Order: sequence, then C-alpha cells, then structure tokens
Amino acid sequence: MSANKILIVDDEEVIVRLLSMSLRSDGYETVTACSGEQGLEVFQSESPDIVVTDIKMPGMDGLELLKKIKEIDSEKEVIIVTGHGDIDSTITALQYGASDFINKPVRDEALAIALERAKTKIAIRKKLEEYTENLEIKIEEATEEIRRKSNFQRLLIKSSNDAIVAFDHNWKVVVYNPEAVRMFGEAAKDVRNKLTIDDLYTPKTAKIFKNQAKEKKGQNMFPWNERIINTKDGRQIPVRYASNVLYEKGEFVGTVNFFQDLTEIKRLEKELVRSERLAAVGQTVSGLAHYVKNILIGLKGGSYVVDVGLQNNNMEKLKAGWETIKRNIKRIGNLTQDLLTYSKQREPEFEKCRPNDIVKEVIELVKDAAETRNVIISKKIDDSIGEVVADSQIIHRSLLNLINNAIDACIEDEDISKKHEVRIKTYVDDNNFFCFEVKDNGCGMDENTQKQLFNPMFSSKGGKGTGLGLLVTGKLIEEHRGVIETKTSPGDGSTFTIRLPYEKANTVDIN
Amino acid sequence: MSKKVLVVDDDPDVRSFVVTVLEENQYMPLVAQDGIEGLEMIEKEHPDLVILDVLMPRGSGIRLYRNLKTDENLKKIPIIMFTGIALRSFLKSQKVLDEFKGGEVPKPDIYLEKPVEPEELAMAIRKKLG
Repeated sequence: MSANKILIVDDEEVIVRLLSMSLRSDGYETVTACSGEQGLEVFQSESPDIVVTDIKMPGMDGLELLKKIKEIDSEKEVIIVTGHGDIDSTITALQYGASDFINKPVRDEALAIALERAKTKIAIRKKLEEYTENLEIKIEEATEEIRRKSNFQRLLIKSSNDAIVAFDHNWKVVVYNPEAVRMFGEAAKDVRNKLTIDDLYTPKTAKIFKNQAKEKKGQNMFPWNERIINTKDGRQIPVRYASNVLYEKGEFVGTVNFFQDLTEIKRLEKELVRSERLAAVGQTVSGLAHYVKNILIGLKGGSYVVDVGLQNNNMEKLKAGWETIKRNIKRIGNLTQDLLTYSKQREPEFEKCRPNDIVKEVIELVKDAAETRNVIISKKIDDSIGEVVADSQIIHRSLLNLINNAIDACIEDEDISKKHEVRIKTYVDDNNFFCFEVKDNGCGMDENTQKQLFNPMFSSKGGKGTGLGLLVTGKLIEEHRGVIETKTSPGDGSTFTIRLPYEKANTVDIN
Repeated sequence: MSKKVLVVDDDPDVRSFVVTVLEENQYMPLVAQDGIEGLEMIEKEHPDLVILDVLMPRGSGIRLYRNLKTDENLKKIPIIMFTGIALRSFLKSQKVLDEFKGGEVPKPDIYLEKPVEPEELAMAIRKKLG
C-alpha cells in the first residue's frame, strides 16, 4: 500500500484549497479540514496516511491535534506548518512526535520533500513491521524446534537403558537419568546441580573419569571397559562403562559417563559355568563308571570260565579264565594309578638315565601285542643323546601311553590296505630339548577329538579307554617342564612329540 | 552235528566267556575279532547264529549288522546283539543309517546288554537255535 492519502488542516480555507490542488496534481488523494476539531474528525473517518497541519489555529491548534493524533496512532506521520521563528512551538511539536516541519508560506518543493520523507519513513516502518512480524514467527518456529529437539533428547536420556551421568566443567552433576538413579541409589533431585563427581562416585571411580579428562587431552571418546563399581551405599555392581569428554572450541566443558549394569549377565555367565562344570563332573563320573563296569564284566566272565574249568577239570579253560581275571586286575591297577597320578601333585624324581634305552624297553613291552594285530613298530634313535638327567619313570609311562595309543589308532583304522606302522624317533631340537616322536599311520583324529584330547575322561575308544591316559601323560610332561605336541590328519595318522629340557648327566652335579 | 555259532567281539575276555558258554551248551564256537573278519567268517562258514558286539575297530557291529540284514543270502541268519551299548543308542544309529541309505533294516531279534549271566546268554541262544 502506498502512502497516498493526505489530510490538510488549516484555518485559512484558501491555503487548504491551494495545497490540496497542488497535491492532487502531484497524484495524491487529499482530504481537508479547516480547524483542529474538524481535522481530528476527518482523521478518524478517513484515516489518512500523512497529516499536514498548520500550527496556529483557533480552538484546537496544530499542537493539540498532533497530540490527539499521536494518542490515536503514535506511528502516524504528521507534518507541522509553522510560522517563521516559532521555536517554542516547534520544540513542543517535536516532543509530541511531529515528523517534519515546513515554514510558512508553504512552498511546493518544501512540501514535496517533506512528503517524500514521510512516505519513505512510512515505507521503512512498514518493512520493519513486516520484518519484525516475520522474525517473531521465525523465532517462534525455531524455539518450537529447539524445544522439540531438547525434549526428544531429554526423553532419550531419560529412557536409556544405560545410566547416563554428565558433569559440567566444575565436575558438578548436570545430567542424571533414571537408570543412574537406580544404579547409584541417590534421588535425582538430590544429585542434579547439587553433587559433584566426588560426592556421587567412590574416589576410585571418580579418579578414572577425572584422569581421562585431564591426562588424555584432545581425546574425547573412551572405549567401553568393564569393572566393578562400589556405590556409596556399599553395593558392588559389575558394569561396562564408557565416557565422553566434551570440549567446546578446545575448552573442556564437561564429561558424560555411560554405565551398563552387567549384574544379570554376570549371573547368567556364572550359572552357565556352573552347569558346564556339573556336566563335566557328570561326564567324568559316568565315563569312569562305564570303564569300571567293563572291568567287572571281564572279571565275572573270567570267573565263570574258571568255574567251568574247575567243574570239567579242564586245565585249558582254567588258564584262559585266570588270564582274563589277571588282565582285569591289571586294568584296575592301571586305573587306580592313573587316577592317583592325575589327582596328586608329584615332583619329578631326577636321576641319570638313558632315554634311548627307555625307548627300547617300552618297544619290547608292546612289540608282540602289536605284531599280532599287524602293526609294525620301528625306531630311529639319535645316539648322541646319551645319558641325561630326567625322571625315567615319567618318560617310560608317557612313551608307553603314546605308543599304545598309536597302536590303537592303527587297529581302529578301517583302511586295511595300509601297512600299519608306529615309528618312534629320538632327537635333540634347536631349543636344546630332547624329543621323542611317536608317529603312526592309523586312523588319525577329527577336529573334535583333537580338541578334547587332554580333557578328563574323554575317550575315543568306547568303553575300552579310561579317558585318563593322555591326561596323565600331559600332566607328567608338564611337571617335568616339558611340552607335548600333536599333529594329526583324519585317515592319515597322528604324530605326538614329547620335548623335555636336555640336561646331560656329565655336565650337571646331581648328588 | 552241533550248530555253529560265531562270536564277533574285539575283547578277548568276552570271546573267551562266550566261547565257554557255547561249549558248555554243546554248540560249536567260531570267533572273529572285528567286523571285517566277522563278515569273512560268515561268508566262509555260514554259521547258524551270530553273536555280535557293537563297538569294534574295523567294521563296527553297526555296519556288520546292516550288511547281513541287507544281503539276500545272509539275512536269514539270526543275530544276537551282545554289547555294552544301550539298545536305544543302537537303534538310533540304525535309524540314522536308514534315512541316510534309504530302506529300513529290521530291529535285532535279541539284544543283550552286558553284563549278562551265562544262563541268560544260553537261554537266548537256545531260543534262536532250539
């Protein structure tokens, strides 16, 4: 809308007419009044954009009219027409908020300029108004958006399953969500903006986060860790925690801590471990019972055969039965020995001995039995090993166990086209260990069997193994500060290697 | 002529026991110490009855049982399973093989779980052979 309508007020009708004509010719619309009272009336009924009024009029004068108009609309542009040197009323008019002055007699140019100025002011004000209005809307929208966002964040923090605690730069608590309340036990109203990190956490916990902010400047994300935190009311809570150190333009402004309560998870983990252990014990006991049952079956069968031999006076039966009984007595003996060895800590008894001789002894023991099952035993001895300081019993038992296992692996093998062989080798390795290698070309082991090799009571031999053999061997070798290694491939065979520290007898004084 | 009974078991103690029971009851014992040897003996000797262990190296009893029951010439030979393995486990393994290989193998006529008294074993044998 352009400021086009002008109210002219003057008590001299001629002037009013002249001005009105002049302004109309300039394209303005005019309304007129010949007194202050009439001017006010016309102003109210016509609501002109600009008022041009003479200052001196009988009755209501220009100043009075200006005052009234400004009371109605303080923004209205009012141009005052003054006489020469009428400084006092000019000042009063200024105080009342007149927007411009022109001197009498009114010259067209002067009026035109004053009107232009008034029009510009109106236009600027209009724009300003529009801006202001826009700004208000914008601010309102922005405020709403911020409110919505902060509300969302507040809800997010509030409903988080993690305990979230944030501190400002003075380590005062500023965020403390419901999960934190649950974890630390203190009510939010007593904590937020009241407590510091030292009041909320124990000194140990507080130190962790303070150090993170202090010592690792520049780093703001700290990875998840686990620890037990002690609360002030004396509870211990296993937690997973992480923290963020907050910087604004390089300045430390605070930290945020996140805690996840692991109590339930830890409890489940414990339960799982316990049930696994129970299962392992159960397996152990049932494996042992199975083995003992097999011995009992052997003994019963043997005693029946002996009875038959006695009844029929059959020496052959008597012998066969007795052999069975003796074999099973030996199995009980071995089982008891294995159990004792496994359950007791025993220091190796070091003495001078010849590892190569032990290999020969053990081979003698198993050779015949192996040959009846078509398994060849061969050896490759490193004669440089000579006499060493070691526990000969440990070596003997371990070798016997490994070689027997190797023979079993050959017997178990379903590929009868193979020429089954167990090879025993001795040598000294690069790390100065003397080694026994027992290699077979039997059935080999799958991954599962290999994994469980040294587990108590695990046996791949059905009811015919105690599940203790390798376990005991492993323990003996470990006590002898040695290692035992396994290589295997299903269908191709296995290699077990025992490595023991090599101490030559002649270099060590063993008393 | 007395009837031939084959014992297939890898445990010498079990073989000696079963052989003695057989002799005491006037049967003629034959022995094999694994599944493969067992099958060879059956084909050669045509025993009247097989007493079969389950867990053995080289051709387990599970396989030998299946071989016998799917062979037209041998499926008539009665079998007594004589083992430390529970019947449930044995049947399960056969069921898995049924599904894997197709077809269905009949359940064993007599399944004895060790330990077994001599008289119990003798009765089972008599039941099959008369």
